[in-house]
Amino acid sequence: MPQTETYTLSMGPQHPSTHGVLQVRLDLDGETILKATPYMGYLHRGIEKLLESRTYVQGVPYTDRLDYVSSMNNNLGYCRAVEELAQIEVPERAEYIRVIVAELNRIASHLVFIGSLAIDLGASTGMLYAFRDREKVLDLFDLVCGARMTFHYIRVGGVSADLPPEFAAKCDEFLKVLPEFMQEYEDILTGNEIFQYRLKGTSRMTKEQALSHNMTGPNIRAVGIPFDIRKVDGYGVYPKLAFDVPVGENGDNWDRYRVRYLEIYESAKLVRQALDGLPEGDFMAKFPKALRPPKGEVYSRTEGTRGELGFYIVSDGGPKPYRVHIRRPSFINLQGLDDMCRGMLIGDSVAAFSAIDPLMGEVDC
Amino acid sequence: MFGEGLLTGMGVTWKHFWGKKETFCYPEEKLPMTERFRGGHLMFDHTKCVACTLCSLACPNQAIKLKIVPDAMKKRHIESYVHLVGRCLYCNLCIEACNFHALSWDKNYAISTWHKEEMDDELVTAEGKEFFNEMMEKAKAEAEAKAKAEADKQKNEGGDA
Repeated sequence: MPQTETYTLSMGPQHPSTHGVLQVRLDLDGETILKATPYMGYLHRGIEKLLESRTYVQGVPYTDRLDYVSSMNNNLGYCRAVEELAQIEVPERAEYIRVIVAELNRIASHLVFIGSLAIDLGASTGMLYAFRDREKVLDLFDLVCGARMTFHYIRVGGVSADLPPEFAAKCDEFLKVLPEFMQEYEDILTGNEIFQYRLKGTSRMTKEQALSHNMTGPNIRAVGIPFDIRKVDGYGVYPKLAFDVPVGENGDNWDRYRVRYLEIYESAKLVRQALDGLPEGDFMAKFPKALRPPKGEVYSRTEGTRGELGFYIVSDGGPKPYRVHIRRPSFINLQGLDDMCRGMLIGDSVAAFSAIDPLMGEVDC
Repeated sequence: MFGEGLLTGMGVTWKHFWGKKETFCYPEEKLPMTERFRGGHLMFDHTKCVACTLCSLACPNQAIKLKIVPDAMKKRHIESYVHLVGRCLYCNLCIEACNFHALSWDKNYAISTWHKEEMDDELVTAEGKEFFNEMMEKAKAEAEAKAKAEADKQKNEGGDA
């Protein structure tokens, strides 16, 4: 009588499809995954602690380095928290500019998702197309703030500079070509049978499972819960703008892909409305240079590209925060990896991992 | 039909195979940097600087090391301005802090070095050093002249008394 035993496979931390340095221990029965345990901390830089030794204004560039694919959204989350703490009123023009850049960054980030999902499933051409189009967004950001990666554009009280005069035309041009390249992904990836077989019905999650892991962002919308903080909280000028929240039906990897794919269209819709409705006025609020928020604490959340991005800041009345804690959506979404992988094959763990779309800079913080 | 999607995808790549190139030959061809581009080395204008240290105070990562020397007239001058490129976040806070526009980026993004030691960048040029020495000499002469004038004045006052 042959005897079988479970086998432990260590995937990562040096693995091309772990999007950085993450180790996943897979307990296997043959090729079937019994349990997947993520081990994190290989990219820990102590950003929360670093923020405690910098002033509120100096802390903003460090938030760029959390989720480095969507830095604008991190800047926005941190600045909103500080503004709430120090009771700074942001000018309306700045709010509109923030919507434009944050949504453009959401598009760029979802393009990276599509590209990395494609290459993780073996479709390297798909990745090249997505990265080609992400460059168009980065060119816009280069024009606005002079950086392509760590933007540091959204500041406490507004934005660092007004939009350059040529921005509106260039952004318009980008929004015009967006449906064209999205159609290309539809042809090259969505219709591809291999791509569909790898995603449809794999790593299915129920609403209860997703909620029990406190998943947010596209991951929770994929299981059919329309939870979007832009709608729920309605921060900034989002209540004035019209957009839909795409949701999935089955909660499988395919839905995770489709939700993000459709979100790109919704973000483009938001950028278009914000561009058209951009009011005149200041781009920066007036507040003392040596910012000393009153004693107290604040938890402010925004819809990051990967889910609920929350900043908890405690102030002791000094120029530096007493304590900062960041609720990183990638870190919390990754807790669902075990449920997504159980019963799947080793190859599907890569798809599951890629479909969560975690970013290690944010996971380890 | 199975494979239809695959063929459609291949059609897209086939179309692009004959289309316009998306890439270009770096380093033979280089793109111009945008007006607001933050990158490369810091450029320092010694004639505009008043040695207020606001740039160094604004830096979140202590990437700017200054050596400030008061002259004989008690006016401050920059003797050395070291930009620690390895610590720099390229956040632009130093440039925005300067009220006299003494700092700017040179936009030359190819700044990798072989050794860590080469990363510390002294921004005060030979010309800047000369300017510094000139200012110190000038202040010294001014102070001496002032002291002499005061001594003469006291002498005259003493003579009157």
